[in-house]
Amino acid sequence: MSENKTDVPYGTLDLLILKTLDTMGPMHGYRIARRIEQVAENLLRLNQGSIYPALIRLEEQGWIRTQWGVSETKRKVKFYSLTRAGAKQLNVEVANWERATALVARFLEAES
Amino acid sequence: MNLRFAVGRLLALFRNRRLDGELEGEILAHLEMAELNAIAAGLSPEEARREARRGFGGIEQMKENHREQRSVRWVENLLRDLRYGMASLARDPGFAAVTIGLLALGIGANTAMFTIVDAVLLRPLPFPEPERMVRLWETPTPGHHNNTTTLTFLDWKRQDTIFEALSAEEPVSAAVATGADPVRLSGKLVSADYFNVFGVTARIGRTFALGEDQPGATPVVVLSYSLWQTRFGGDPDVLKRDFVLDGESHRIIGVLPAGSFDRDEARFWQPLILAPIQLNRNQHWLQVVGRLRSGVSIEQARAKMSSLRASLGAVIPQKKLGFAVDPFAQLLVGDTLRRSIYLAFGAVLLVLLIACANVANLVLAKGATRRKEMALRAALGAGRGRLIGQLLTESLVLCLLGGMAGIAVAYLLLHAAAPLVAASLPFTADLSLDLRVLGFAALAVMAVLILTGLLPSLQTSFGKLSSSLNQAARGSSASSAAVRRTIVIGEVAASVVLICGAALLFKSLAKLEQVDAGVRIDHVITMSTDLPSTAYPTPESATTFYEAVVQRLRSAPGVEQAALSLDLPLQGTRWGEWISLAGVKEALLVRVKMVDPWYFATLQIPLESGRGFEERDRAGAPPVMVINQEAARFLSSRFDMANPIGRVVGIHLPGYGPIPESPVSVQIVGVIRNERTGGLHAPEEPVAYVPLAQVPRQDVSLVVRTRSEPLAAMSGIREAVRQIDPHLPLGEVRTMEQVKERSILWEKQPTWVVGAFAGVAALMAALGLYGVLAHAVTQQRREIGIRMALGARPGDVVSHTLRSALSMVIVGLAVGLAGAFALTRVLKSLLFEVSALDPVAHALACVLMTLIGILAAWIQASRAARVDPMTVLRDEG
Repeated sequence: MSENKTDVPYGTLDLLILKTLDTMGPMHGYRIARRIEQVAENLLRLNQGSIYPALIRLEEQGWIRTQWGVSETKRKVKFYSLTRAGAKQLNVEVANWERATALVARFLEAES
Repeated sequence: MNLRFAVGRLLALFRNRRLDGELEGEILAHLEMAELNAIAAGLSPEEARREARRGFGGIEQMKENHREQRSVRWVENLLRDLRYGMASLARDPGFAAVTIGLLALGIGANTAMFTIVDAVLLRPLPFPEPERMVRLWETPTPGHHNNTTTLTFLDWKRQDTIFEALSAEEPVSAAVATGADPVRLSGKLVSADYFNVFGVTARIGRTFALGEDQPGATPVVVLSYSLWQTRFGGDPDVLKRDFVLDGESHRIIGVLPAGSFDRDEARFWQPLILAPIQLNRNQHWLQVVGRLRSGVSIEQARAKMSSLRASLGAVIPQKKLGFAVDPFAQLLVGDTLRRSIYLAFGAVLLVLLIACANVANLVLAKGATRRKEMALRAALGAGRGRLIGQLLTESLVLCLLGGMAGIAVAYLLLHAAAPLVAASLPFTADLSLDLRVLGFAALAVMAVLILTGLLPSLQTSFGKLSSSLNQAARGSSASSAAVRRTIVIGEVAASVVLICGAALLFKSLAKLEQVDAGVRIDHVITMSTDLPSTAYPTPESATTFYEAVVQRLRSAPGVEQAALSLDLPLQGTRWGEWISLAGVKEALLVRVKMVDPWYFATLQIPLESGRGFEERDRAGAPPVMVINQEAARFLSSRFDMANPIGRVVGIHLPGYGPIPESPVSVQIVGVIRNERTGGLHAPEEPVAYVPLAQVPRQDVSLVVRTRSEPLAAMSGIREAVRQIDPHLPLGEVRTMEQVKERSILWEKQPTWVVGAFAGVAALMAALGLYGVLAHAVTQQRREIGIRMALGARPGDVVSHTLRSALSMVIVGLAVGLAGAFALTRVLKSLLFEVSALDPVAHALACVLMTLIGILAAWIQASRAARVDPMTVLRDEG
């Protein structure tokens, strides 16, 4: 069932979360996890639970903020949204990522 | 794991519990939604739950991960920096000891000084609603305060729409029997209202009840807490005991709470019972304190009092005489004390500034050697904020340690100084290290942190760090050296200000001590006594005692001469009266002293003309008077009386005990040379002497001239007095030298305090100079080596270093002198016969500072001269 899936590339979960919040606006943890899985079209092996440590880390950095809201199951849950610093950080991380992939791509081209 | 981790965990504990709960909720919600989703996708509830769990992953592992992620970052950083700061201090214990020592001294002295400022000037009086407490006076002429008369006091007391309580107070002393020698205790006679004025209630029992100050009431007494402790051993049943004062038994009705009244001179309080004979308007003897009704302003009270004054026009004929109401607090702290305290506080602040400058300098010097480390850390990605944070934290470690040591220093200083300064401070001043004082110490630490930490931090981390990677090997940048030189110049300037101030104060003190008191100072001992009305009910009994005691004293071993006087020289004269001349409207205000026939001889005050008092000038004989030169000068200039001898003048003189004064015609029989009555700094005043035998008083002082060390003769003196009256205690035993010393205490204390601070400041400035030069010499070793290799002699090197030091000192002197001149206004009022611009004092200060500077520089200069060019060049080549 999972033979074609890859793990989340190291250090990119933050980027994925930030990007998700950027495009989708405030949402709770489960929605974020589902959204990442949906965009990845089941190519990604994501432990949904692992987004929570990432979320608290992003919050401590001041890149996202939380608000209390009510889930579809009528439970009190945290809704996460991007802060201005988070939006900036997203740009930085996107640029970093693009540089890194471009670099790797160039290496691969050069070798072939 | 380690301390840092432990503290971090501890801080996060409360937060963690809340966050754990929140996370739990989120997980539950997540799983529920995942389940719902799975069911919607067609799975059975059982399968859906399993699927949701699987998709979520390890819950416990995730929780642990979550906890790790949310550890408090800044706390971690702070703790890391603290640990790092401690470690770097431990690596350089010399630096740590010097900086912490400097800060401890600065912060400690400031904290101690602030305790005094706070207790005396800032803190409200330790009584409820102190702003309602007032003092009431008569003003014979505007601006001149005088005690009031019994009848006027009773008029004031009737103004109960403005005064909630009004009380007269009159110092008193009483003999109390203890063992062999009776002791004299100070007390106060007060109206029944007295403690309502202060809003103080008794700790045990009660204070005076209404009517207890009326004639015929049973004698009662209230004790101070300290008297209760020392004399009655804190006996809880003290109210069942009696207290024998002057041989008369008094019922103890109450004990006051501990506190302000223990610092008052009085140890016990008795009701002031006004005798019918005292109900007059001639005897100005009562000091009055009052408490305004709530809501009554001091202006309203003043208005009411002046309308009262106007209505009393018929009974108080003196037109100029007015009534004054002043805030109680204002009179407690005199102008001189206030100025002295501000002066000392200003001086100690300067010392703290200099200490900060020194520490900043040391940190800068250290920073210069750490530029490379900082540059490296910056290159490795540390933000500037982090670098400044790190440096500030290291300074914080220094300041905290310095602050803690400073509080210990303050405690020791206060412990040592409190008994010395207590006599100069009002009784309400409580000198203890409390929260307010600790708060001040904390503020001082913060200020010091900013002064000593921020500048070097900015200097180190905002300099061109990249270039320091290359430069650092060759030493600090020029800008850092310039900052350090500027700091030293500032230190020198601040020290010069202090030394100038101290020099002026010392010169003024020396002038004061040289003032001729007009009386014999050495080999004279004085003591006070108070004849109780019970044992000495009549004036005759008092005069018999005077004659007998002097006679007996003169035959005591080691005694050369003995005399009695109402007041001692230099301590002020309590009695003042107007001398009037027949047919002349104007009168002359003189101080009046009652003395016996041997007073002038004992204190060796020479007679200018006429005669002194003799044994024939006794009660019943024609009243006589001796005046001093100053009085004679006034009489001749104002009244055209060229030769006062033989002239008869009118004066009011008091009767014995409560008997009020009455007009007497007295003949002037002699003129004596001036003695200093009001203190060395007080101008000469006109004084009239009258024979004690003709105007006997109960509270007199004994003056004894001895052949050898005066204190050694004391046992003989006590024995002689005991033979005359075994129940009569002697109080305030002081040599004339001590009396003189006490009279200049107010000048002496601030002088020594400022002097000590100036000395510390100069030392610190020298230390700063020494440090900068030491650093410079180390940095310039190579340059010095090259110059010596090229033929410079050691003398040239020495003079080069000295020139560099002197340039700093001279600029510092210039700035300091400018500062000193700017501050002359502050000092002016505290100086005695010395101009605030006195050139000698200023020159002395400059020479002193220059010498200290040269001394500090010399050590480094000779170190520079010992540089061996070969070694240096080989080392660094």
